[in-house]
Amino acid sequence: MSTEGHGRSGEDDQVLVAEYALGLLEGGERAAFARRLATEPALAAELKLWRSRLSTLDREFAEEPAPAHVLERIERRLFGDAAPARAGWWNSLPLWRGLTATAAAVAVLAIGFNLMQPRIDPAQLATQLVAAIESQEGFGVEFIAVYDEALGQVRVTSLRGDAVPDRDYELWYIKGDQPAVSMGVLPMNERREIPLDADARASIEPGTVFAVTLEQKGGSPTGVAQGPIVAVGTARSI
Amino acid sequence: MTSSASLEIAELIARTALRDRAAFRDLYARTSAKLFGVTLRILKDRSEAEEALQEVYVKIWQRADRYVAGAYSPISWLVAVARNHALDILRARRPVSDDIEVAAEVADAGPDPEQSSIYRSERARIDGCLDTLEADKADCVRGAYLDGYSYEELATRQGVPLNTMRTWLRRSLIKLRECLSA
Repeated sequence: MSTEGHGRSGEDDQVLVAEYALGLLEGGERAAFARRLATEPALAAELKLWRSRLSTLDREFAEEPAPAHVLERIERRLFGDAAPARAGWWNSLPLWRGLTATAAAVAVLAIGFNLMQPRIDPAQLATQLVAAIESQEGFGVEFIAVYDEALGQVRVTSLRGDAVPDRDYELWYIKGDQPAVSMGVLPMNERREIPLDADARASIEPGTVFAVTLEQKGGSPTGVAQGPIVAVGTARSI
Repeated sequence: MTSSASLEIAELIARTALRDRAAFRDLYARTSAKLFGVTLRILKDRSEAEEALQEVYVKIWQRADRYVAGAYSPISWLVAVARNHALDILRARRPVSDDIEVAAEVADAGPDPEQSSIYRSERARIDGCLDTLEADKADCVRGAYLDGYSYEELATRQGVPLNTMRTWLRRSLIKLRECLSA
């Protein structure tokens, strides 16, 4: 139908990308293009550009207040009906898939660490927690955190993963509905002992979540995590 | 949206990724009217749009960690999640449906950091470039993006044959791209 000569296939691709970004491709055509996107970085880059450009149109979506029951339904679905604030969500998160098996392996490792400590006091063992901080999809980093209440410190060891140029991994603990609290940046391929302040000592208990995010060098400047979560795990009694 | 408001939304998304429920509620309070506007405009049915909005925030809670702060306007990322979800519902309504890559769509919503500066500089240009198209063709681009109209629906609305609509719109997209890259 068209006789536009040279560069035809490049032009076709450009049109396809734009059609895909607009949502005009359907069925098999759409699926075929999606497959090409996965293997052709130039197409993927072009798509990102189109999406950025088109997103300028977003302001034309007029705001419309949502009815109150929508939020209620969302929270009921995510957090359960009358679930207690803490137990409710972390039990149901897909984040914990596969945690059990690793936690068992990690507990063995953790006990190994404990035996290296120069004290044997059964009362102290009861106040130790371990968290397997497992990689989120695609990040390939893993840490183990052991909390020792008697020493008032968390020992974190990196098990897997590489340092990222100009970025730092930052460790956070999260208790219930509270915002994540930074515990500082983590070195790769070594163990770090992080002394805790009174707040942290009072906060960390079984069920406390540890998360590692990838932040700018030196850690998030705002005290709030900004980068992607690369690994997460929950503290359990040893 | 001002840049400080935008920064606050980015922080709320980051805190949501860290499973902070209060932040999630705050994020909902500040963005749900916009996202409801998106699902309502595309689905054109209040109860379906409410249902979709619910699904959208469930996705946001589950995938907030995929948002890369600073790389993309946070509200644009949220709108992309809502728009992709609503378009997917539209596609499922139509005879041939395909939702294989919905997850990839959401995960892939933002450009690389190096492209965010391009994003900012492009900002004003799309309007200017849409203005270079004839009014009815610019309307078709807007209709596809903002209303999720298919080629068939656009053809019906403009009262032209389907093939004519395809030819029109494809030429318009080439023209638009030339203008945007100029």
